[in-house]
Amino acid sequence: MRSTKTMIGGAAAGACLLALMLAGWATGAQAPVGSGKASAKKSVCGLGTGKKATGTPIKLGGIDMLIPGVDFTTVGKVAKAYFDCVNDNGGIKGRPIKYILYNEQLNPAQEAALARKLIQTDKVVGVVGNTSFAECGTNWKYYKSKGFVVIGAGVQAECYSTPSFAEVNAGPRYSNIGAAQALIKAGIKKLAIASPDTISAYADGGAALLAEKAGVAVKVFPTHLPVTDATSQLIQMYQFVGDGGGILLDFTPDTAPAFMKAAEAQGIVEKVKWGSSTPIANTFMSGQFSPKWDGHLWIDNEFSNVDPSVGPDSALMFAVLKRYAPKIAPQAFAQMGYLAGKFATSALLGIKGPVTAKSYNAAVINLKNQKTDILCKPYYVGKLPYHIPNNTNIIVDYKNKDVVVKNGCTAIAAVDKSVAQTRVWEKKFNLNTGK
Amino acid sequence: MTDLLALSVFGVDWQFLKPFIVIGLAFGGVYALSGVGLVVLYRATGVLNLAFGAIGAAGALIAYYLINHTSCPEWLAFTVCVMAGGVVNLAYGMVFGPAFARRDPLVKMMGTLGLALILLGLMAWRAPAGGAFARFLPLPSSEHRYDILGTSVSLTQIIAIVLAFAITAAASIFLRVTKLGTAMRALANDREITATLGVPVRRVEAAAWFGSGLACGAAGLLLPDLLTSLDYTALTFLVIASLAAALIGRLQSLWATLFGGLAVGLAQSVATPYASISAYRSAAPFVLAIAALLFLSRHRVVTVSRAGA
Repeated sequence: MRSTKTMIGGAAAGACLLALMLAGWATGAQAPVGSGKASAKKSVCGLGTGKKATGTPIKLGGIDMLIPGVDFTTVGKVAKAYFDCVNDNGGIKGRPIKYILYNEQLNPAQEAALARKLIQTDKVVGVVGNTSFAECGTNWKYYKSKGFVVIGAGVQAECYSTPSFAEVNAGPRYSNIGAAQALIKAGIKKLAIASPDTISAYADGGAALLAEKAGVAVKVFPTHLPVTDATSQLIQMYQFVGDGGGILLDFTPDTAPAFMKAAEAQGIVEKVKWGSSTPIANTFMSGQFSPKWDGHLWIDNEFSNVDPSVGPDSALMFAVLKRYAPKIAPQAFAQMGYLAGKFATSALLGIKGPVTAKSYNAAVINLKNQKTDILCKPYYVGKLPYHIPNNTNIIVDYKNKDVVVKNGCTAIAAVDKSVAQTRVWEKKFNLNTGK
Repeated sequence: MTDLLALSVFGVDWQFLKPFIVIGLAFGGVYALSGVGLVVLYRATGVLNLAFGAIGAAGALIAYYLINHTSCPEWLAFTVCVMAGGVVNLAYGMVFGPAFARRDPLVKMMGTLGLALILLGLMAWRAPAGGAFARFLPLPSSEHRYDILGTSVSLTQIIAIVLAFAITAAASIFLRVTKLGTAMRALANDREITATLGVPVRRVEAAAWFGSGLACGAAGLLLPDLLTSLDYTALTFLVIASLAAALIGRLQSLWATLFGGLAVGLAQSVATPYASISAYRSAAPFVLAIAALLFLSRHRVVTVSRAGA
């Protein structure tokens, strides 16, 4: 009797063990995220070998701003997630990427110190994934003196007017121009623009200029963050534009909802044509608002719609986020981080010989025709006095708590001479023409 | 009547100004509510509580969590928000109150600043801001809107104003009529003598901490709705406006605090459409508090003595 019980127990234990082994085998058999052979229909992380990189780490670094009301750390965190995926797929010829990310609090002294720490103390070979209201202005000369070209996501003027940055995004100025362009096309006669007071002059300037040229009355409302009186400001803007006018909001997902909820409460959603820069173009935002907004938004999106079915890079970004950064929602800042990581990896893989700061930054400058379904046109850097590679955007709207494309890829109006010049360079040097 | 509606106030049409007056009075009501709580606590314990904003924000975050991450009904979450203000305030008062009782008022105040920073840190840790999400804590009362004198007014805005008057009146009556209120006033005059007379000091102080905490919790519930977002940093620093209201009441008068709060809210909001002063409207609490203090102390005699004379 006793031996029968022992046998049954042993058999049960054996069955459990077998089940566990099978489960382990099944898990092990699953292809790692980002592995396989890259093709037009499939994107992979780096080499896509599915094998963990074990060599000496290659150091990259980044600086992202984090202040009340604005969190840009998502960009760096997603760049890191992409590098983690690269490291699980053979790394850079067997060497893993070690990504060092620092946060700054809109403090120029801190920004300058962190750039020096990255390059001089941490000895990174490249700077990737930076996003800040002020870091470009603080550090562009330093980066230039060290021969660094940063692949990041820009906000202020220096990110798009100096040789030290080649941003993956269009930034608030060009995104606002795109949104204003769409609103003007939709027939508005008056336009109110609101953005954070720290970047207002630059971010709103282009859209205001475009409106003036089109004969649309325009007024800018610089907003101090964190916003404590969204309703008052919104009423002020509505009083200026009146029914059928345009209100353009240029805020991150931390702040824009306060204005949108105030609009719902004041009952003016349907009375105004609403424009916005990229940050609210995602389903996590659209899901927070009532269907009243459907059809009333002209959101300029610097990237493709945040949807895994758009193409292989979009699908891989969703997979990378799910595996390596599950707390981060798929959204524009995640797209920025993904692209920064992807292009930095392309540069690293293109290096022949030792990976040094000199060879990495030379490889960054050599980047051109970097195709991705996340951008309307291929990304490039090139040896240029400034870079505005992302200058063709789409317009999206909300529909049933989802985000839908309203207008396809459209070139941003060349209000700035630098945009017109950029397009000349693109053709002249075949930077994004695929040749 | 037509002339009245066409009235221009320093270049801004009266019609345009009306919504700002409503918004200002609603915010002012919340500042007053919180300010009255500050004054009641100060009068009973001598503590100027700088953690009022943070405590209100913590209560609002708890309510947000209960509504969005549990099956807790809204009414219960809102009750928890108000009660949380009372409980956190009471807990601080009971744990640290006796230790600070004999210390200088400045030291007592700095203790509450510590509480504010701890709460801010906890909120940043457990509910970090940023990402693709924004938090909202809308009240069902905001779905009800009324047209008053040609301006749309929400029920929440009406509640904020009415509640401020109601709490001020209730607190005034309570302090004058009830035994506990009399004990609180006696404590404010002299703690030692009051204790000698057999008043249960700890119990009276506990009531003050809890009661003022409830006012703070109510303010924490109303503000996210009026702000149209639950930003705990913004909520924490809105204590400044309440503090200004309390200073206008010289930390003594509940009614002066009420009108001070309403004045601060009005000044902040009505300044919005005036481009030349709009950028400085956040300074309104300080400007009004300083102006009120200067005005109230205009008849004071300043005595200057020479050392050794």
